[in-house]
Amino acid sequence: MKPMLKMMRQLLGAAPWAMTRGAALALVVLLMGAALLGLSGWFITATGIAGVAGMGIAFDVFRPSAGVRFLALGRTAARYGERVLTHDATLRALAALRVDLLRRQARAGARALAQLRSETALTRIIADVDALDGLVLRLLLPLLAGGCTIVLAALALWALVGGGVALMLPLLLLPGAALILLVLARRSLAPASEAEAALQRLRRGLIDMIRDREALILAGQIPERRAALAQVDGQARAAAARLDRADRGAGLALSLLHGIAVALAIVLAGALVAAGQAGAAAAAIAVFVTLALAEALLPLRRGVSEIGRMADAAGRVAPETPAEGAPDSPADPVPGAPAMVLTTPQQQLILQPGDAVALSGPSGSGKTTLLLQAAGLIPIPPERSVTFQGRSISQWREADFRKNVIMLPQRSALIAGSVRDNLTLAGPAEDPEIWSVLDAVDLAEEVRRRGGPDALLGEGGAGLSGGQARRLCLARALLKRPSVLLLDEPTEGLDSATAARVMAGVRAYLPQAALLVALHRGADSGLFQRRVTLG
Amino acid sequence: MSEKPDRAAARAAEARLIAPVSPQLQRAGALSVLAGLLWPVQAGGLAWAVSGWASGTEVMQRSLWAAAIFLVCVLLRALLEHRAGALLFRAADRVIGGERARILGREALSREARGSAAVAALCVQKLPMLQPWITRYRVAALKVLLLPLALLLLSGWVSWVVALILLVSGPLIPLFMALVGMAAEEASRRQLGEIASMNDMLMDRLSALQDIRLLGATERAAADFEQRAEGLRARTMAVLRIAFLSSTVLELFAAIGVAMVAVYVGFSLLGVLTFGTWGQPMTLSGGLFVLLLAPEFFQPLRDLAAAWHDRASGLAVAQELAEAETAERLSVLGEGTPATPLAGPLAVEIRSAVAALPGRLLALPDLTLKAGEAVALSGPSGAGKSTCLMALAGLVPLAEGEIRVCGRLLDGETADAWRARMAFLPQRPHFGDMTLEAYLGGPDADLETALDLAQAGRIVARLPEGLATRLGERGGGVSGGEARRLMIARAVASERELILADEPTADLDAETGARVIRALLDLRGAGRTLVVATHDPALIAALDRAVEVSA
Repeated sequence: MKPMLKMMRQLLGAAPWAMTRGAALALVVLLMGAALLGLSGWFITATGIAGVAGMGIAFDVFRPSAGVRFLALGRTAARYGERVLTHDATLRALAALRVDLLRRQARAGARALAQLRSETALTRIIADVDALDGLVLRLLLPLLAGGCTIVLAALALWALVGGGVALMLPLLLLPGAALILLVLARRSLAPASEAEAALQRLRRGLIDMIRDREALILAGQIPERRAALAQVDGQARAAAARLDRADRGAGLALSLLHGIAVALAIVLAGALVAAGQAGAAAAAIAVFVTLALAEALLPLRRGVSEIGRMADAAGRVAPETPAEGAPDSPADPVPGAPAMVLTTPQQQLILQPGDAVALSGPSGSGKTTLLLQAAGLIPIPPERSVTFQGRSISQWREADFRKNVIMLPQRSALIAGSVRDNLTLAGPAEDPEIWSVLDAVDLAEEVRRRGGPDALLGEGGAGLSGGQARRLCLARALLKRPSVLLLDEPTEGLDSATAARVMAGVRAYLPQAALLVALHRGADSGLFQRRVTLG
Repeated sequence: MSEKPDRAAARAAEARLIAPVSPQLQRAGALSVLAGLLWPVQAGGLAWAVSGWASGTEVMQRSLWAAAIFLVCVLLRALLEHRAGALLFRAADRVIGGERARILGREALSREARGSAAVAALCVQKLPMLQPWITRYRVAALKVLLLPLALLLLSGWVSWVVALILLVSGPLIPLFMALVGMAAEEASRRQLGEIASMNDMLMDRLSALQDIRLLGATERAAADFEQRAEGLRARTMAVLRIAFLSSTVLELFAAIGVAMVAVYVGFSLLGVLTFGTWGQPMTLSGGLFVLLLAPEFFQPLRDLAAAWHDRASGLAVAQELAEAETAERLSVLGEGTPATPLAGPLAVEIRSAVAALPGRLLALPDLTLKAGEAVALSGPSGAGKSTCLMALAGLVPLAEGEIRVCGRLLDGETADAWRARMAFLPQRPHFGDMTLEAYLGGPDADLETALDLAQAGRIVARLPEGLATRLGERGGGVSGGEARRLMIARAVASERELILADEPTADLDAETGARVIRALLDLRGAGRTLVVATHDPALIAALDRAVEVSA
């Protein structure tokens, strides 16, 4: 429940003024609907009485019929306004939520960031955001507007018709609807999460089966796997069926509740007429207004039946309370301190500006781990320490640190867009700069061949070979002109001649930067002053 | 934006998806129409009671009777709708379950060009979008045919003027609905497109998030994204406005129709208007009755307009299903079931075989292989090395020639038994959602020996959770070379005699590649037969002989 409230606050907060006006209009729509039906009923009944009494000519038909027209047209206009305002506010809120999500995910640890590459994690986040659009539009607003309408209608009836029938409405409808909706919410929570979980399992299982198809066929495991997936599908659909039952049950109960209210209104209003406490026309108002409340009551179930899915999604998407104790005040570099010092129980590695150090060792010896620690992407164990310009990296503010220390991870990703979009991901760059950095990574010719930096790449940099994509990522890192550059296998997938050219280009492009490079091959190149072997 | 293919596809989808459940849908529709027909009864009771109040006759009796009639009808209506809903849900569930089973069966034994993520999205996310189309749109379409007509006749019975008012404003609605429908369909398509592209961008940024953070570009990326999201919102709203405006026009006509009925009835009751009621004066109960019927006359039309969106998205899914159905696929031989290994000494012979790939034929080299041999299939990329391996495993059908295995023809009959003697190392490792132990073959297999033979013991030792580790989908946590050696260990643990490996040293540096080659040679030393597709000279040199594959 708590994450849902948090999400609600966030969704409302994005455009509070538009949302307020939208909510007011939602109420106006329902009130005008009730007034329209009440007025029409009164008008017809009153004209009927006047006609029988032969008073037809004296009856003022113009004001009521103008009222009917005004309410009919006004309601239509109000509904249009309400829809536009609330949808606009919700879209704003969802856009803000997506941006916020991007920011928060960016603060996650390396492992979480790496997991974001999997299709499953990504589609999940996307689906969660989409699931939340109903939170305000279909849950909060209809509940508020419906509740207010019932209360206001009761007040109006109190004034126009009389106490009994007016009291009946809130006393019957509010607790009745609350009970029905609470039961619906309770009954839909578990099946909604079950259905969602089963569908996610189905998605993963299907992807696994397709990607591992050959091995499964060879192992003769296809029937087994199909049966398992069919079972998961069965679970998902059984949960959906339970949700549907709860939903339809609530629909039935709400219809009955409203029917009872109308029946009671007929009896109570009839009693007022019989006792001479109300005229027939006034009594008709009570019946017609109660009839109109169906519009306030019946749509409530739709949002409530989604509550399970929304609660789950909110639980995953809602912002957690900030736990990070990121320093507020900027750290000052210690004058004269080396650019970076990495201390492990085995050795101390001091990087001065202009240094180039090769990090080698068999795969699995911890080169990547050391680099990730130096980049502050994974926690540093107590027996190790990393300082930048004399201060422990935990003392640096993220933005200041990242301005100076750039790491190129082993599996880098490009974004969809042009070569320029990728290069300027971290900041603007003019054409001469772009060409010079492309030159440094030996990619200028290729980009020229493709028609310049505005040549479009596919999703994830599709269209470039593995080696070219790698060099474009490297160029992107160089463009930031960091004082410490951490490179994890920057030349993997390149032939040795190109690899040597690229490394020389890096050195020439950043003569003052300290380079720490994890390498399988080429660690004996003359470029490196030192070589550190792990493992 | 051509209309014809859309309609043809809609018809085809209708036939395939809807026909099997159409009896259920018709029954549900009938129940729903029946529920709608109860409204005139309720309206009649109400009108009768209120006219009793006005004339002062039997006030309490009439009230009680009307309340009882109203309540009984509400109960009946609610039960009918409840039952109709159950039928509709079951029908939709059957369609969705059937389509899912179809997709699962198809994907298990054949390949197509689309990726696994697209197939999973269709199967998991998009199939449920058929539900509202089946449940809401179909019934709304049926109701719109019957209910307004019935209510029109009932109103006409009281007053032909009222019927005329409804008749005039009613047909205007289908006209507008055609416009609204088109606008709504276009709007929903564009809106879906906008959301999809926003989601694509979010996905793209999220999957590059580690790099974005390491570049210190989080704020910039967020601001950039914010700007685009805002632009998309503005465009989506422009589209939504059209849709809302069109449905407002629809509502406007309904409102005008009802208001005209109310005004006409009022003036008739006052005696100002004296025509339209079949020669008799308008009565209060008759007036109230038609007033209560008028909104219900328009309701089915409005429901249908609201369900138009469901139809559009349902048809889009149906179309995608039809495309998946007719996509060119590559079917495997056999069923992928467990089978007793084919008897006889291991032997393979490819004789002037031609593989039937989607849209093209590919000639395979002739090859004779005996137990214990280690053969490289070499040749430039694209020549058909992988296809040759797949054909050997019965994963690709032949157009001509034959492959004989253990002296028998490799076909649908023998494929499963033949495959029970081999293990396959694909080029790209895929570690499903399972522990390393389960991936390697489960607790019963001799994993230690297998890992040693594949030089992968150290990899497992390094992982914090050892054999209980769950590697990510793409083998996150191990390097490319390590993933290859784990695949080799899996092949060893399966204790199959013939091992087919596809480019086992691709994208590896020389040192890691050498390790993989050593692991493969150890396998041959342990008595396995190897067929390796590769263009790595070091690997080719390490094997007994090479067979050149040329396109």
